[in-house]
Amino acid sequence: MVEQIDHALRLAGTRIVDSIANFLPGALVFIVLLFASLVAAVGVHYLLLRALKGLDFDRRAELLGISVGSWTPTRSASAFIASLAYWTVLALGLLLGLTALDAALPSRFATSVLEYVPHLIAALLIIVIGGIVARFLARAVLIGAVNMGIRSARLFSLAVKWMVIIISSAMALDHIGIGRTVLLLAFAILFGGIVFAVALAVGLGARDAVSRALEQQLREPPREDRVDHV
Amino acid sequence: MASTGSSSSAAPEAAASADVVVGLITCGDAETIGAVTAAVNEGLECCFQGLATRIALVDAGAADGMASQVRPLVAGNSQLIELTPASAAADRLEVPYHGVPGKARALHMMLSAARDLNVRACVILDAAVRTVTPQWIEWLGRPIVDSGVDLVSPFFQRGPYEGALTRGIVYPVVRALYGVRLRQPLAAEFACSARLLDRVLEDDIWDRDGAQTGIDLWLATSAATADLHLAEAALGVRTHRARGENALDLPSTITQIVGSLFADLEVRAEQWQRTRRSVPLPQFGASASPAPAPGSRIEPERLIDSFRLGYRELHDIWTWVLPPRTIIDLRRLADATPAQFRFEDELWARIVYDFALAHRLRTLARDHLLQSIVPLYLGWLASFILQVRDLSAEAVDLRVEELATVFEAQKPYLIANWRWPEQRRT
Repeated sequence: MVEQIDHALRLAGTRIVDSIANFLPGALVFIVLLFASLVAAVGVHYLLLRALKGLDFDRRAELLGISVGSWTPTRSASAFIASLAYWTVLALGLLLGLTALDAALPSRFATSVLEYVPHLIAALLIIVIGGIVARFLARAVLIGAVNMGIRSARLFSLAVKWMVIIISSAMALDHIGIGRTVLLLAFAILFGGIVFAVALAVGLGARDAVSRALEQQLREPPREDRVDHV
Repeated sequence: MASTGSSSSAAPEAAASADVVVGLITCGDAETIGAVTAAVNEGLECCFQGLATRIALVDAGAADGMASQVRPLVAGNSQLIELTPASAAADRLEVPYHGVPGKARALHMMLSAARDLNVRACVILDAAVRTVTPQWIEWLGRPIVDSGVDLVSPFFQRGPYEGALTRGIVYPVVRALYGVRLRQPLAAEFACSARLLDRVLEDDIWDRDGAQTGIDLWLATSAATADLHLAEAALGVRTHRARGENALDLPSTITQIVGSLFADLEVRAEQWQRTRRSVPLPQFGASASPAPAPGSRIEPERLIDSFRLGYRELHDIWTWVLPPRTIIDLRRLADATPAQFRFEDELWARIVYDFALAHRLRTLARDHLLQSIVPLYLGWLASFILQVRDLSAEAVDLRVEELATVFEAQKPYLIANWRWPEQRRT
């Protein structure tokens, strides 16, 4: 009886030691990878920050409409991008480390997340490009409307800006597969509703104003209003 | 630029050389081409007797029958040279402010033909002008033949509010930067010598972006930056046939003209930074005649409203272009009553120079930048009208000269910021 208990204990001990012996190299690799990714992240952060500062990225980004000051604590686009790169490298290192542990669940999780990364990057690009296009078009509409003497120039400009931002956000969400059906339905309802509301408003409420504006647009300006600026 | 298109001369052998060539650029000007040709023919007959003369016709509109309309009118010593430039697809997309698509190509073809003829003087006229007289040919061509002048630029009598863009931006900038007092550097009419023909045909102006719209101005600045003799000829009043159904809107006109001016500043930066002061030009042509009465009625109050709307909506954009003290001055102006509304000359000159700098530095997309100057221009125009509406034509010209002097005085501001743009915002 004592012998049997002793054997069982030895067997359990051996199993534990074997498990630890199997786990230790993986854990060591995990720690090494984590440390390496930390070093890489710090390096990437430093180099990116210096390169972006050298390129006067903050000023250019603000001109392009990439303003991060209002929604991040970093207050500058270059610091934000450097931080993003830092955490991305660190997260990638962590995921790689998890696969090195050879544990089934963390490995599967890491692999699925890594497969998702290209989609996330593409979605991020869509949002950034959408933001730039939105800002460009909003500025064009604002200047054009002011030069046409339209009092609500800013309203038109904001409408264009948010329409492009919403469309690009929806495209990005669709790209990463979040709420496809809901998005499609929401868009159909939202845009259908907006067009219907505008049609009603123009048709019923502002019919006279629209006809006056069209008439004014189509009619040649009176002779005394014309001046040769050149 | 390669001369493209076909050229058919009435008698190429006989037309192998000439002393004076008058080039007519036409674009669907059937209504006016007859009168212009008759005036040119008469001018050549009476003012250039004993010299071999030619009339060259470039039809930028490639309209059928234009040459056949002109041919019977060319008489006496002159011969007709017909030139047809090739049209480009881009011409159909862009409507130039002067109404002649592909004008640079047409002009290049015309000037090349004149150089091939070894002319002493080449006079260029726009065939849409209704007021061409035989004296125009004399006043433009004679200084070249007799006085050794290389470029004769016209000076037309205009109403007090006409040509405000030229008076408020183009003339002061050209005068301050290039040192020549060419009062109408955008004019389509001019006369040039053989030396100037060589100079401009070798210049890179023909292949630049926007050449089809900016060529008139760039020809003038090309002459101004060469070691050549320039002069002005007073030609009286100029009225012309409107080309196209609708005139180009103001933002597009400003984008084309001011854009051409700023593009030229960038190319000739080394030359204008060396120019110290402007020189008056010899004057030829008609004695001063009474200026035409204002043909248009502009309400300064409406212009002030446009300026205020622009300030309210665009001052965020202007902060990228203009320094803080200018924005403060503009805010004061936006709050002023019409009676107190006065755009100071120094402020206007600095604004124009700041926009030129922003154009060079690409602070904003260039179209946005140039279009955002429109409310500022309207504000300046309102102030100008309020100042000159009760003045005589001579007093208006003097007021423009005062403004141009201020542009000259502010030139060091432009040079300093052009050389050290990083100091702009400090």
